[in-house]
Amino acid sequence: MISKNDIQKAFSAALPIMLGYIAIGIPCGILCASIGLNAFQVFLLSMLFYSGAGQFMIPNMYLAGSPLLSIIASVSLVNTRQMLYSASFAPQCKGVRKRLAFLFAATVTDESYGVNTTCFESGNWTVKRATLVNLFSQSSWALSNVVGVLVGNAIGVPLAIASFAMTSIFICLLCMQKITPANAVAVVLSMAGVFLAKALRLGGAAILLGALLGVAGALVFSRFFTPKKESASTNRSSDEA
Amino acid sequence: MSWTEFFIVLLTCGLTMLACRVLPLFLLKGKELPERVEQALNFIPPAAFAALVANDLLSPDMFAAGVWEGCIPLLASAVVVLVAFKTKSLLWSAVVGVAVYALLAFIPIG
Repeated sequence: MISKNDIQKAFSAALPIMLGYIAIGIPCGILCASIGLNAFQVFLLSMLFYSGAGQFMIPNMYLAGSPLLSIIASVSLVNTRQMLYSASFAPQCKGVRKRLAFLFAATVTDESYGVNTTCFESGNWTVKRATLVNLFSQSSWALSNVVGVLVGNAIGVPLAIASFAMTSIFICLLCMQKITPANAVAVVLSMAGVFLAKALRLGGAAILLGALLGVAGALVFSRFFTPKKESASTNRSSDEA
Repeated sequence: MSWTEFFIVLLTCGLTMLACRVLPLFLLKGKELPERVEQALNFIPPAAFAALVANDLLSPDMFAAGVWEGCIPLLASAVVVLVAFKTKSLLWSAVVGVAVYALLAFIPIG
């Protein structure tokens, strides 16, 4: 089943995420406590909903007096980007047992998606290990949130600084992508798309819209600028063209 | 927030989240994908990471609190890019990023 080697490999891959989740999970728990949620409720939310952005949005919007329906709609909209991650893991889950594939898919986050994608690309990675990465990350997130509820506002680290840990992880993941003309098109258009979406007050869907624009632009680019003989090659080499 | 309100939020947000996380994978899993679709899937990582970074760093009102305040995350990000290329380590990137950000935030300018 799960070997000691699997656990070790998964743990060291998950460690940066786990530390990052401590840094933002504690403030998130504090915020949730401020709208009257108790440790058990915050634990349930972290295990069953498990969304960093969403768990910050819920108390923030509740404090601002938003009606439940608009909280639910906004949070769900923000989480639609998960569909992209889910789709991109489909090839790796080919032939994987249904239950394992379900557990894996159900516990993907921005950060664990990034780490597992990089691990799959470098080879020697399995869905089993990827699921362990997800579960380690989820445990860290749930525990940190509960700690946040219990300690309350005793820790005075500003959220902007703590959350920069996640931004740094995304920057590093971006830097580890292959540098190809088509990838560059995807990156530039995604960033422009996010900015544009925010300017048009579509901030909730900015990540999804930006990423979709990036993928679409890169597809168009590679259709017109890829030499014909390359077009029949496998995915690995086609985005290097 | 009452228990009832909590359960409504947990149930609806939890279910839409689960659907977004699980459905696309199970719909595409085990199918021979057309080359175009496969190519699109391969563009998701760079596009998604770029979007996540941009979402954290860029917004039309990023300089609203002042030019220096707006520059802090950008300067810290530039340092993270250097660290990322040099070390290829998420952990080092996060540690250095937070340290530089904190350092810049405490420099009294403006």
